[in-house]
Amino acid sequence: MLHVADLTCQILKNVSFALEEGKNLTILGNNGSGKTTLARALCHLIPSESVFWEGKKIGDIAPHLRSQVINYVPTLLDIYDEYLSVGDYLDLNCFDGNDPRMREEILGVLEIDHLKHSPCQSLSSGESSLLLIAGAILHCAAYTILDEPTANLDQAKKVKIYRLLKNGSYFQNTIIITHDLNLAYKLGYDVLYLEEGSVRFFGSCGDFFDPSRLEGCFGNAVQNIGGNFVVNYDEVR
Amino acid sequence: MKYVSLILSLAVLVIAPFFGEITLNIQEILNPASSSSMLFWEIRSPRVIIAFCSGAILSLAGLVFQSIFRNPLTTPFTLGVASGATLGTALAIVFFGGLLFWQYALSFFGALLTVIVLFLLSRSLKSAQTSSLLLVGIALSFFYSAALMVLYYLSDFEQSYSIVRFTMGSLNIVGFDTAYPILIVSLLFLVSILWQRKPLRLLLTSLDFTFLKGVHVTRLVMSLLLITSLAVAVCVSVVGPIGFVGLIVPHIIKLLYRRSSDTLILPTFFYGGIFLVACDLVARNLGAASDIPIGVVTSFIGGPFFIYLILHRQKGSR
Repeated sequence: MLHVADLTCQILKNVSFALEEGKNLTILGNNGSGKTTLARALCHLIPSESVFWEGKKIGDIAPHLRSQVINYVPTLLDIYDEYLSVGDYLDLNCFDGNDPRMREEILGVLEIDHLKHSPCQSLSSGESSLLLIAGAILHCAAYTILDEPTANLDQAKKVKIYRLLKNGSYFQNTIIITHDLNLAYKLGYDVLYLEEGSVRFFGSCGDFFDPSRLEGCFGNAVQNIGGNFVVNYDEVR
Repeated sequence: MKYVSLILSLAVLVIAPFFGEITLNIQEILNPASSSSMLFWEIRSPRVIIAFCSGAILSLAGLVFQSIFRNPLTTPFTLGVASGATLGTALAIVFFGGLLFWQYALSFFGALLTVIVLFLLSRSLKSAQTSSLLLVGIALSFFYSAALMVLYYLSDFEQSYSIVRFTMGSLNIVGFDTAYPILIVSLLFLVSILWQRKPLRLLLTSLDFTFLKGVHVTRLVMSLLLITSLAVAVCVSVVGPIGFVGLIVPHIIKLLYRRSSDTLILPTFFYGGIFLVACDLVARNLGAASDIPIGVVTSFIGGPFFIYLILHRQKGSR
């Protein structure tokens, strides 16, 4: 179980919640509401004393064990070396004892096998997102935090990633940060809604997508059209 | 291409001791009583070894520092390590009459002190904030330069001249006694960097990624920094601050091999050594009354070649 007790750091104020084994989470919130800060605190990229895994402070777990517990996948791929290839990057995500066939399988599933020998820096933003997801699957931590995994993808790839997450066989527990309400709704994970660094809602997906609550959070910016949540561009304020 | 350059490099290494201001009598080399033998074994051979080891250390140090700081302009010189060593030597020249022992000792001490200062400051900086450390290094360099100016002001004409010659870098070394320490240090340095190859490869992605893969980033960066700075300190205390090698050789190797930096440890070490041996060969044979300072030659040869490679790459990628 991953649990956060009264976390206050940077923009975050008194954030508390618990995520049981086998439960997934969607983190929602406006720009600058602290979603990424929370994710980075969860995996100790921002040191804090308030994040616990199985009752132990995440900072007290030895680094190599911590890496098995929690992994964070940023929105953008950050690679310094201009010649490091896609294959090299994926190898760096594998730990000893991983099945080498897994790498080929994932390259195939995400349809990026033709990029295997390309330098990571030459990838488009969508291809980078797919590579990040492929890396996270190989890493296979107990909890994987995906920060806006579908933001740079085309429609077909969004569906592919949705199915991959829904199917659930590639990740253990996932925490998704997204602005895509439709994705959040279809995945059906528990929802944590952040507003200016505080938790405004934490509960089941069904409760969050209640029309009155939705309007409270997003005003008229979101419309429910036949079970699909779409952005209302004609919204008049 | 690879084999051609390897054979050419080995050839440079082998012929280097045979050429110089004074022509050697090749038959006499194995005759211990002759002056040719003395020149070959006591002066030229140690000089080639020192040139090779210094070039290798400075180049590999450049590669490691560029990877750690994720900045293509970083070398141990930018961090103030070399400036610390230079100041130490200048102190020895002014206050200890230029005795060789004190030159080596204070130069080494200057470099070591810089590393310790950087290390202590880095602990109060937030972990993995390598750019702050780089800025501290640059600030230290300016501080050392100012101190060096004070020493120029205090010194007489002869002392000033010695300091200037040292800052240009020099491979004028006699006997194998000076060559052994730097030879051993360069090999130890190579082995320890090869040993850290896998974590180094993680650093080529990003510090966050390295952290998330379960590596203690601060500890890794600090140990690499310490090992590299110590090797550079030994090198600078013997041959002076030979700039530019550490900056350009890693880039030249990257442009030629087009592989990620962690796979270039051996080529950078080897060709860095060869580069300095070749530059020294030129410096010794241009026919001037005395050797041209090695730092001048490295910049004259390396600079244009470097610019050529960068322009060439731009054309290729468009």
